[in-house]
Amino acid sequence: MLKLTVIPGGAQARRKRRAKQWAAAAALLLLTVLSLVYIRFDAAEFILGIPTFLRFLFSDFLPPDPANLQGYIKPVADTFIYAVIATFCSSVLGVCLALLMARTTTPHPLVRTVLRGLISFLRNIPFLAWASLLVVIFGVGTTAGLIALIVFGCGFLARLYAESIEELDQDSMEALESCGATYGQRIKHAIIPQFLPAFYSWTLFMFEINIRASAVLGLVGAGGIGALIKQTMDLFQYGKTSMVIAIMVAMILLVELMTSRIRRRLI
Amino acid sequence: MAVRKIPIAHKATQRQQRMLGISSLLLLGISLYCADLDMKQIAAGMERLPAIGRQLAQLSFTNGGELLRELVTSIVVAFLSVILGVVAALFLAFLVAANTTPNRLFGRVLNAVFVIIRTIPTTIWVLLAVASMGFGPMAGVLGLMFPTVSYLIRTFASQIEEAGGETIEAIRSVGGTWWHVIAKGLLPTLLTAFMATTAFRFEISVAESVILGMVGAGGIGSLLQGYISYYQFADLSLGILMVFFTMFLLEMGTVQIRKRMGRQN
Repeated sequence: MLKLTVIPGGAQARRKRRAKQWAAAAALLLLTVLSLVYIRFDAAEFILGIPTFLRFLFSDFLPPDPANLQGYIKPVADTFIYAVIATFCSSVLGVCLALLMARTTTPHPLVRTVLRGLISFLRNIPFLAWASLLVVIFGVGTTAGLIALIVFGCGFLARLYAESIEELDQDSMEALESCGATYGQRIKHAIIPQFLPAFYSWTLFMFEINIRASAVLGLVGAGGIGALIKQTMDLFQYGKTSMVIAIMVAMILLVELMTSRIRRRLI
Repeated sequence: MAVRKIPIAHKATQRQQRMLGISSLLLLGISLYCADLDMKQIAAGMERLPAIGRQLAQLSFTNGGELLRELVTSIVVAFLSVILGVVAALFLAFLVAANTTPNRLFGRVLNAVFVIIRTIPTTIWVLLAVASMGFGPMAGVLGLMFPTVSYLIRTFASQIEEAGGETIEAIRSVGGTWWHVIAKGLLPTLLTAFMATTAFRFEISVAESVILGMVGAGGIGSLLQGYISYYQFADLSLGILMVFFTMFLLEMGTVQIRKRMGRQN
């Protein structure tokens, strides 16, 4: 629907608004120019780089090399297995944290503040930095990747769950409280039944993210299908790389299709 | 007297939930059985944890200047990729959106291409860009542009499809051309929504460009990766704190922008 904007104050206000818009546009332009200078952006090189990039993409990468397909089965299966375990662990931990963190169910406001700060810290550090650090601590391999997925996932889910819990209808909680229900009874009968649809939805979303993340984890030595991408690229076997990427894209799209099916069934 | 409970739960829902519970537990069981988790490795890692934690706690400011410079590079890379991305996406979104596409089939095909581009993670795009253009921030800008453009196109297109309808019909009915529909009808209406989306995407892009250095595209990520591989944990913790504060400030900023945009609408 088209909304008519009525500008209060007539011509003068309109002129002022115009001036403001021009100022914003000019500031943006200036910022862009400064940024271009800062990274010594060479427009000619960039524009010439695009055809090079496309040529590289189409002549070196395509067609995908279908050799050694059996070798890819294990990393793909690993990716699935670790995504399942990580989703499960992080959803269990996430629910516990969310109940402590949500304004309506927290046992004490102080617990809420401390947990929120902690989770915000966890979430705002890039995932790959965590993964890389964990690889140093736990050694190269899928174990580090799994722990990274769990740590990151439980912070991510705790925040989403807590927001969903805070949005819930408070009436049933109050009704149970006035009947003298204990904390556990209130959670079980007032929160959980209402919260389940959001829980399913976010958990399925987390599963999707975990599948995607495993593609990236391999790049820092944390196993999964990403390791294959790095290996083949380091050996300049670009045909194989594109095969692995194609498998990965198919896997991600398939998982998305599956989760949207399950979601429609459940909610 | 025996207490008898009256069942009040919805039968079908209960059955469905039981099914879901059993199947997900089964899936977990199979996964745990197949996964070769090395408990010894985990235990060894746990032993190493306190020592590394202690090292991380010794904040060192010796490399502060270098970190700050690279942090600015990361933000600039994200900024440029978003600016260039918006220009491309504004044009392409009108070609993709179902109600403004000049040709239905063309729109569908284009949309499918962007779905595939979006599915490939950013890090892989950057790896490809680095492999063809060499190391440096320019490869980062190029690599980040693919996911940025495809994200913006999807969001813009759905905003166009939502807002379109009557506007398009009204302008078409008085004989307006495709350009009129877009320049006079849709763009002015959607400008604030587009700007809010762009601000949000900028936040995501900064988070991604911080990471990108880890695969060789310049920026603070390459420093962090270096510190991790040379066990310079004192420098690492300063870098992590800087990234954290940047992301935190950015989040606050975009929330403010979105609030203002919402009020203007």
